[in-house]
Amino acid sequence: MKFLNSINDLLDHIKNVENDTIELSRDSSIKIASFIERNKLEVDDDVAEALQYQDIISQQLSATIEAIESVQSSINLFEHSSKNDEVIAIESIGKLHKKLNDSLEKAKDRRKAFSGKVLAEDDVEDGIEFF
Amino acid sequence: MPLVIFVDDSETALASTRMVTSSMPIEVKQYTEAQTALAEIQAGMTPDLIITDLNMPVMNGFEFLAEIRKHPTTKRTPTLMLTTETKDEMKAQGKALGLTGWIVKPFNPAQLKQAITRVLRLS
Repeated sequence: MKFLNSINDLLDHIKNVENDTIELSRDSSIKIASFIERNKLEVDDDVAEALQYQDIISQQLSATIEAIESVQSSINLFEHSSKNDEVIAIESIGKLHKKLNDSLEKAKDRRKAFSGKVLAEDDVEDGIEFF
Repeated sequence: MPLVIFVDDSETALASTRMVTSSMPIEVKQYTEAQTALAEIQAGMTPDLIITDLNMPVMNGFEFLAEIRKHPTTKRTPTLMLTTETKDEMKAQGKALGLTGWIVKPFNPAQLKQAITRVLRLS
């Protein structure tokens, strides 16, 4: 199915952009951190926290890349199983729909899990807990 | 000086912890891979405090924690998880593995220093 190929190509493109963004944000943060350390500059709390955002950006984008790969895998499976049989194709659409929903739910869950204090809906207080 | 090791696959996270702890009376070693830190422990390194990330490729923070708990010299070494994860079930899993505490990223520098000071009883 041609439209599925187009979706797959679009998803590949999004993954590539996300990977580029991860690399750029990492390079940017490393260069800033190196400059600070090389010049023995003292960082305040805001800067120390801001430098950590790169880690969160990277984890969030990596999680969406995983979700995209899961969607692509489901699309490929659907395409393969429904190639020549219309009845199977109709059944497969139902399965594909469920798999895509599962991928979305997992991705939403990971968004929450990897956001740290930045996007936390719950009150994370000071972020340190001793057991 | 007490030895504190940081394990995190993010170089910028390690840079942040390095900057924040540079004025503390501690020796700091950093690793981007848990398996490298584990190999050094198995080769005789005896850290006084271990601070590790959770989500890392190859060996994650829980797997690392389980391994260091098997080793006689790090069986009871205080260990803090420094992670973006906020889920209670993950914290419970860490606690069951003998974790000392849980710090959510982005950490507040003053609070990270306080946590290290408290665990190492520096003051």
